Amino acid sequence: MGWRAAFRLSGVAFTELSFQAIYAFRQGNLLPPVAGSKLTSQARTRVLQSKALVAGLLGFLTFGAAFVLHNAAFVSANLLPYPIPPPLFDAGVLTALLSLDVAFLWWTGLQVLPTFLSSGVLPVLEPLPIDDATLRQAATILYLRLFDLPVLTLLVLTPLLVGFALGPLAGVAILPGVAAAVVYALALALVTGRFFVRRVQGSRGGGGRSLLRWTYLVLWVVPAFGLFGFVTLAPSFFGALAHLAAAGPSTAFNLLLTAYPFPLAVAPVLLTQGSGAVPLGGSGLLILLASFVAYTALAVGAAVWMAGAIRDVGLAPPTVPVAAQGGLRNLRPTGAVYAVLVKDLRMASRTPGYAFLILLPILDAVALGLLTFVSGPRPGTGTSLALGAVTTAALLATFFGPAFFAIEVVAYSYGRTLPLPDRSLVLGKVALITMVYLVAGGLVLAITDLRISDPWVFLGFVLAELPAVAAASFLELGILLQRARRKGLPLVNLYTGAWVAVLVSIPGLLVASAPLVAFEALRAGSQPLAVGTMALVALGCLALIAPFVLRRRDA
Amino acid sequence: MDPSASARSALPLRVDDLSVAYGERTAVDHLSLEVRPGEIYGLLGSNGAGKSSTIKSIVGLLRPEAGTIRVFGRDVRTESLATKASIGYVPETSMLYEALTPHEFLEFVAGVRRLDPAATAARARNLVIAFRLTDEFEEPIATLSNGTRQKVLLVAALLHQPPLLVLDEPLNHLDPRSLRLMKDLLAQYVRTGTRGVLFSTHAMEIAEQLCHRVGILDHGVLRGEGSLASLRERGAEGDASLEQIFLHLTQEDEGVKAALASLERT
Repeated sequence: MGWRAAFRLSGVAFTELSFQAIYAFRQGNLLPPVAGSKLTSQARTRVLQSKALVAGLLGFLTFGAAFVLHNAAFVSANLLPYPIPPPLFDAGVLTALLSLDVAFLWWTGLQVLPTFLSSGVLPVLEPLPIDDATLRQAATILYLRLFDLPVLTLLVLTPLLVGFALGPLAGVAILPGVAAAVVYALALALVTGRFFVRRVQGSRGGGGRSLLRWTYLVLWVVPAFGLFGFVTLAPSFFGALAHLAAAGPSTAFNLLLTAYPFPLAVAPVLLTQGSGAVPLGGSGLLILLASFVAYTALAVGAAVWMAGAIRDVGLAPPTVPVAAQGGLRNLRPTGAVYAVLVKDLRMASRTPGYAFLILLPILDAVALGLLTFVSGPRPGTGTSLALGAVTTAALLATFFGPAFFAIEVVAYSYGRTLPLPDRSLVLGKVALITMVYLVAGGLVLAITDLRISDPWVFLGFVLAELPAVAAASFLELGILLQRARRKGLPLVNLYTGAWVAVLVSIPGLLVASAPLVAFEALRAGSQPLAVGTMALVALGCLALIAPFVLRRRDA
Repeated sequence: MDPSASARSALPLRVDDLSVAYGERTAVDHLSLEVRPGEIYGLLGSNGAGKSSTIKSIVGLLRPEAGTIRVFGRDVRTESLATKASIGYVPETSMLYEALTPHEFLEFVAGVRRLDPAATAARARNLVIAFRLTDEFEEPIATLSNGTRQKVLLVAALLHQPPLLVLDEPLNHLDPRSLRLMKDLLAQYVRTGTRGVLFSTHAMEIAEQLCHRVGILDHGVLRGEGSLASLRERGAEGDASLEQIFLHLTQEDEGVKAALASLERT
């Protein structure tokens, strides 16, 4: 039948996939009472909006990198505390950009992959009289259609903007790097998605398996965590580059030349500024060339593998390990709020997309905490970093708050038939968000204890921010609950209502930031006073918002 | 309280003048019915007759255009939490948290319903053993067959011993043993004389065996209601089966013959 037929088939399958993604019909959600044709067009529009949002964020990253490249002299002279040769600075910026592209696209892939697998669109095509090759092609096109707008944005915008900043030749030379980044991200999403669908989603309950699942999930999040890790560690990365540049050709620099994505990022710089722009040495150029070819070949291989593997992944049900027989465990019912919290944690332990949202603020705090620990006992610096870690955890937990509500979409309709008061639902979610924040804050405190000159102020800071995190969560979830009850629309994943989640996060972030602003304003004077004021502002926010959200009494 | 009001509040379910629409399409048209104490009421109808829309309105999933629904005298709109607490519901499709195991799912349901831990543990254990769910009790629901999912939903609906069971095509995927168990269980369930069961089905034989009364829905309108005997009295033939009565009341008997003839020609 060929590619044309495959494209047509993928179009039908993509409409079904969009429908499933938006309305989660197979997961038990109830369709809104509107005409069928309207539902389908709404689903298409919403998926397009969400893809546009991801594409916009990637575009924003690319613009940011191009802006920094265009103003490299100013940035490296005024914003970096150490001198770094401009060509190496450019290579560093491009390395950061490609790393962020991979991380962000990979993360997006992991968010949409569960919907791709659970929608069952490929199994529907299988029994039809369609030849094997066409089915394989249709599956590949369908997978690519999930990412079309973000991928096109990267492939078009990056060469254009890098070309604008560094010259047309650099724009062309970055293209292999961007293409490789796209292929790696999509292949990684497929590989890790498949692994976790089998090992995590299909894992039995009880017997400490929950802990094992969370361990898997931490392993899974660590690479995807590169997105934030790179932003966090960027100053250290440029510091290391400056150090290597000053030392001249060395084994360490040769190792850097083999590390992805540096060889692909340094190519445009060498092409526009000559091989002398970077301290390569005799063997360096050869190593660079070999690395460039190896990574490009690996990308080609990954693309070929993906073309064959997508259909098999789409068809494979979550496999369950051989059932280990054990005694029948008794039910231990608890209160409604706790039931919601435990249910969310259990579901997150088998749903990588949700687990990511729980683990990211915690791991980000851990990364910053470790950075504080290794930064040495310099007065002030440690405390600043630790406070930064807690602040980031608070803001990230708040930013992801709306996504925790998304978990309700699964069996959404069934949940609505239970006598679950709205306030219990909201309280359960707020408990989850504040718990994430507290674990992150606690870990930072534990890791940095030896490096902080004034641990009591730091403990006060963590606790003072807590009511604001809760208030922000109340606000976000209150808005979302109102909307979901009114419209009957769930938030399933990044592609179903990301724009709503982002919009709702804005007032939440403002509330969570208010005490932090108060602390910053007063910090220079007296830290205890700053923490006290911060606590008052946070408690004020909670006192204003929580009753407002919780007063809505269920009938 | 006057005697008629007291009788109304004892009714497990009373639906008055219910109308449900999806945009321009009317799914349920001024439907009235009641489930009496100690009664199993079967809601019969073809695909798209309005059975599921009626049931979804009763359990609070759909907001009807018009009409009132009362569960033991309580309005499902104004006292939704109280009425939900009185209902055990099995949906038509398996709306379950796929990432949970049956054990985790039932624990969540029991927690939301604030059930007594000791009594619930014992009851859940008995139900799980009765429905032979032991082997799958710790497997993620995503990996279970349709029949097993249906059993999980039945256990969840029976866990709190609700005074009203609302079952939407509950027996579709069950194996013969579970089917028999469920039929006997329902018959036993209403013997207390205070509980009621509403269930929708296509399976006329089951309705015939199980239901004290049936309502026949067609295009959202109740075409006939009553015990099998009373419906037979209204029908053309004295010893007609429920299937024949159904086809007669929905005026589909001629339609079936015409469709068969048309298929034979092609």
